[in-house]
Amino acid sequence: MCASVKYNIRGPALIPRMKTKHRIYYITLFSIVLLGLIATGMFQFWPHSIESSNDWNVEKRSVRDVPVVRLPADSPIPERGDLTCRMHTCFDVYRCGFNPKNKIKVYIYALKKYVDDFGVPVSNTISREYNELLTAISDSDYYTDDINRACLFVPSIDVLNQNTLRIKETAQALAQLSRWDRGTNHLLFNMLPGGPPDYNTALDVPRDRALLAGGGFSTWTYRQGYDVSIPVYSPLSAEVDLPEKGPGPRRYFLISSQVGLHPEYREDLEALQVKHGESVLVLDKCTNLSEGVLSIRKRCHKHQVFDYPQVLQEATFCVVLRGARLGQAILSDVLQAGCVPVVIADSYILPFSEVLDWKRASVVVPEEKMSDVYSILQSIPQRQIEEMQRQARWFWEAYFQSIKAIALATLQIINDRIYPYAAISYEEWNDPPAVKWGSVSNPLFLPLIPPQSQGFTAIVLTYDRVESLFRVITEVSKVPSLSKLLVVWNNQNKNPPEDSLWPKIRVPLKVVRTAENKLSNRFFPYDEIETEAVLAIDDDIIMLTSDELQFGYEVWREFPDRLVGYPGRLHLWDHEMNKWKYESEWTNEVSMVLTGAAFYHKYFNYLYTYKMPGDIKNWVDAHMNCEDIAMNFLVANVTGKAVIKVTPRKKFKCPECTAIDGLSLDQTHMVERSECINKFASVFGTMPLKVVEHRADPVLYKDDFPEKLKSFPNIGSL
Amino acid sequence: MQSWRRRKSLWLALSASWLLLVLLGGFSLLRLALPPRPRPGASQGWPRWLDAELLQSFSQAGELPEDAASPPQAPHGGSCNWGACFDTSKCRGDGLKVFVYPPSGPISETHHRILASIEGSRFHTFSPAGACLLLLLSLDAQTGECSSMPLQWNRGRNHLVLRLHPAPCPKTFQLGQAMVAEASPTVDSFRPGFDVALPFLPEAHPLRGGAPGQLQQHSPQPGIALLALEEERGGWRTADTGSSACPWDARCEQDPGSRQTQRRETLPNATFCLISGHRPEAALRFLQALQAGCIPVLLSPRWELPFSEVIDWTKAAIVADERLPLQVLAALQEMSPARVLALRQQTQFLWDAYFSSVEKVIHTTLEVIQDRIFGTSAHSSLLWNSPPGALLALSTFSTSPQDFPFYHLQQGSRPEGRFSALIWVGPPGQPPLKLIQAVAGSQHCAQILVLWSNERPLPSSWPETAMPLTVIDGHGKVSDRFFPYSTIRTDAILSLDARSSLSTSEVDFAFVVWQSFPERMVGFLTSSHFWDEAHGGWGYTAERTNEFSMVLTTAAFYHRYYHTLFTHSLPKVLRTLADEAPTCVDVLMNFLVAAVTKLPPIKVPYSKQRQEAAPLASGGPGPRPKPQAPAPNCVNQIAAGFGHMPLLSSRLRLDPVLFKDPVSVQRKKYRSLEKP
Repeated sequence: MCASVKYNIRGPALIPRMKTKHRIYYITLFSIVLLGLIATGMFQFWPHSIESSNDWNVEKRSVRDVPVVRLPADSPIPERGDLTCRMHTCFDVYRCGFNPKNKIKVYIYALKKYVDDFGVPVSNTISREYNELLTAISDSDYYTDDINRACLFVPSIDVLNQNTLRIKETAQALAQLSRWDRGTNHLLFNMLPGGPPDYNTALDVPRDRALLAGGGFSTWTYRQGYDVSIPVYSPLSAEVDLPEKGPGPRRYFLISSQVGLHPEYREDLEALQVKHGESVLVLDKCTNLSEGVLSIRKRCHKHQVFDYPQVLQEATFCVVLRGARLGQAILSDVLQAGCVPVVIADSYILPFSEVLDWKRASVVVPEEKMSDVYSILQSIPQRQIEEMQRQARWFWEAYFQSIKAIALATLQIINDRIYPYAAISYEEWNDPPAVKWGSVSNPLFLPLIPPQSQGFTAIVLTYDRVESLFRVITEVSKVPSLSKLLVVWNNQNKNPPEDSLWPKIRVPLKVVRTAENKLSNRFFPYDEIETEAVLAIDDDIIMLTSDELQFGYEVWREFPDRLVGYPGRLHLWDHEMNKWKYESEWTNEVSMVLTGAAFYHKYFNYLYTYKMPGDIKNWVDAHMNCEDIAMNFLVANVTGKAVIKVTPRKKFKCPECTAIDGLSLDQTHMVERSECINKFASVFGTMPLKVVEHRADPVLYKDDFPEKLKSFPNIGSL
Repeated sequence: MQSWRRRKSLWLALSASWLLLVLLGGFSLLRLALPPRPRPGASQGWPRWLDAELLQSFSQAGELPEDAASPPQAPHGGSCNWGACFDTSKCRGDGLKVFVYPPSGPISETHHRILASIEGSRFHTFSPAGACLLLLLSLDAQTGECSSMPLQWNRGRNHLVLRLHPAPCPKTFQLGQAMVAEASPTVDSFRPGFDVALPFLPEAHPLRGGAPGQLQQHSPQPGIALLALEEERGGWRTADTGSSACPWDARCEQDPGSRQTQRRETLPNATFCLISGHRPEAALRFLQALQAGCIPVLLSPRWELPFSEVIDWTKAAIVADERLPLQVLAALQEMSPARVLALRQQTQFLWDAYFSSVEKVIHTTLEVIQDRIFGTSAHSSLLWNSPPGALLALSTFSTSPQDFPFYHLQQGSRPEGRFSALIWVGPPGQPPLKLIQAVAGSQHCAQILVLWSNERPLPSSWPETAMPLTVIDGHGKVSDRFFPYSTIRTDAILSLDARSSLSTSEVDFAFVVWQSFPERMVGFLTSSHFWDEAHGGWGYTAERTNEFSMVLTTAAFYHRYYHTLFTHSLPKVLRTLADEAPTCVDVLMNFLVAAVTKLPPIKVPYSKQRQEAAPLASGGPGPRPKPQAPAPNCVNQIAAGFGHMPLLSSRLRLDPVLFKDPVSVQRKKYRSLEKP
């Protein structure tokens, strides 16, 4: 064992001088004791982190030294696989009931060597790949060493390749596992099922209710929603480094590189080659290789020798025909080469088909249509082919590349079945990183025009400008669709005016007092907000007419996923300074609306408060500025859409102010606002704002039409 | 003595040290000696074998290729899958062609209308020999039409037995290799990839159109119940889940405080709807929940969810294990608002796209089978699972989502920056020279197509423009205006009538607006529909009002995909209607786009002087004395054809940002729009 830890001899001997003849004896004894103490102390108080990062606590042993288990010839054999098994019938979900974070816990049995009555081994103890697989599980978050807390059990009995084991005895070995219980919650990994002559498509070892992660299932043996179809790992993945090759046309249109194909298939393929000439390449084993050349890394066409798997990168489509088994390791090589697999294997369940969308990465052709394969492939548009090439490579990188990738994808699939409410989505499984990055999934994607009857909640952020606040309240209360008014009182040093002093309005008026004077209080998702539409309005915006506000609400109803606001602003790229600039001049474009007066969906309050990226929220509160720009960034980023500016430009604050919109022209103000844009763009990692050239006006705005017949006559006038 | 005392103290010190050593070291040694758990709390993990590098691979070198191949296997046993039991060789050419067996006896009114609906669809063929799929409708329980074996049965090969309602009559003949489309099949009898799982429709399900989803707002109302539970006799009650007890588990029944029963509802009003139990009740409730926008929480369903082959139900429902009720409840309570929002909206989209009418269910079934035949050119998962849905996104148009107007956001793409002008020249047949020049002046114009559709011979010369100009010889049918001509190469089409009059600025601005709304129609002149109480029907007006629901296609931008949709997906009846009453074609196109987008069109400014002068407002072709509205029953006929009224009104117009603002005209980009 590991007891042979070597202690360093250190430290001076502190034995008092003695005149006796036993001196040497005492000194020796004492030093031994002291050294022992020091060493023990060091061992005891050594920082644990160092200890655990070392491999001290992991056994260093050889596979040959594992305990031997003798299986009596009459030990029980499990039932054959139960084809009717489903998660809710054969899987004991109670074992997974107490797992935190919606993650199943997986236990791995200790490795043993099984022999029969005569001492003959049942199988190879463990293969390199199965060892890698168990190591990957053990290193993952799924792993537990506590058998009592485990939800899933993985035997260390290696059944990856059925040909390397004795079926009956392996089954007996499974049956004597300590928690076997008819195989409930046990997971077996098998990549090469069946054996001659009939090559069954699932592992022949009787396994009762155990889940099977198998490579090469057919529709007849695969228990949908119970078994997991996995790839047949190609050892070439680790050996050969094929750099990613961009999508696009390649030298060969179609290539077949499998050896040992059934003669019927080979005839069909060769007929294709004759018919279509150069663009089809059918390869076979090389017969005339010199000594020492690895034959599995070469393929030949007549006397031409090609490197395998490099040659796959020269083809757009690669044939993956079934051999005796449905699952073929070549599928992995083909995907690695970014070649689109043409799968010709009737009833084959493609790897991870429960979650992977193979239509995006492969072409499945029925065996009887093999002679038409060329025309079928030719009908696929070039753009789709390139998409498939990219997708094929992405599948390999994410799910085929290593044993670890295969093991973790398998466990994730089982995990998703047990905790469906925490499952990974289709997009997360299937979209390559580039697509995930570029795409936007609008949280309000359903085209829906909310009913007018719902109305909106006006939220006024105020500090101490009571007089102006009361004017705003009075003005806003005239808007027909207003359903509630919320005043966010941001002043902790002063109490809001008494109830009797507030303007009497027809809708409920609530005052919320905040704990701290923060700008983000304006965007807090208060429980008092009962409508979907929110009007954020500053306590000095007194010039908006009732018509303008009502019209703004109508516009929001048609665009409920956007910011719909009055004063518009623009961001511009400053070529001299090489950074973004804030613009409030009369421009032909808008990309932001100020939230001093804007309608938006209340969901964005939730996003602003809880999902704002990076430190933007704190930054805004610290600078007491730019909360509106932050909101514009947030909404544009999550919806991918531009703002809607409503109604013509006008002064929204006091009419006597000289500058347009008050302090907007102030130079330092502009600099600060530009800083905000640059800061936010760097936090978002992109510039999400969208520039548009339109604004929304009532249908008959400024038309030659009787004013009294217009729905919103009082618009834009000062 | 002294030495003895010293020795004694020494011995004492020594033994004390020994004791300490034994105590401390012993523990450490003990820990080292017990390999399975060196330290409590630290997991041991799978061992790192010293000889891991020496282990053999699971597939010995050369074994994989040496696999002896066996000849093709015969179909397994009696069971079927797509490859073994469906002959796709008959489905060459233009996709799925369906032959429907004529009923053998008297049939119900519903059956008759379903037959008519299939016959009107693009899938139908009258010849059983030319059909790729033979459809055996088994709709009503009463009539005996399912008792006889059909003529071309052929062991059921390429047959689909469609049962809207479960087991109407006992099986009188073996289904053999026929596919079965039935309502909520059990998981055990369902053959994935071969059979089709249908929704369980109530008896009175509307044939066409159907009731829209109940959801009126995106996010759940504050204070709405978390959970609705099923009740006896088809009702729902909401449950208060404030306490941690499981409200549906029999074990909790004793605790009266844990649940609060409210009045019965026919449609649930809650965030989540708990559906347990067995079909058909559970399947029926599932559909109710979907319509109500109540997220279905299915507890270990033993039946296949409808159209599970193509619909990603994880986006709209939660399938959980009935054995873990507390975990499920906790998961629902803790679910993030973002997820709830997405699930809710998806229920409504799916309901509207595939379930709200019998016709949609049948078309979806056929579309699922067509997708199997199409293979790589089938609808992608994106097309099935995001608005407007696979019935309205024809896979024959393109296999790339970015070619459609609907998926630019998800794809991270943008519509093309150019448009094609398609000018329709009806009688009297004057070449629209001025119009061509105005359109060709636009920086976004890519090509001009002239659809010559009148008796006169083609003029020999066309105005000199830098734009490529193509002349298409029309057949005089109005629906030709919306034919997907292969010569149209841009996403955007500017549809024009020869008598329209537009300025280059107007075209430029409208196109820039269209780029922001590529799925909608962007037009200059508008009209409205309204409910006419007096006549008990829909009315139409082209008068200028404060709102509008249609834009005239005599001058409008829209995506070229709508030409494909117009020609290939509208029922024949409606296209014929448009040809016979040319003024209806505008209305029809607006109906189509509104049914797809569920949004109103967009209006952009148009110089009003010319508006009065030009006969643009008249819509359609043909010399007419005055601006003429379409026949009043046009709107009603089309609404009947759609089964509902898809048109929506808008109260806004999109103007340039500085439109008519009191600022120097020099600052304005579209200044000519403001000329009096």
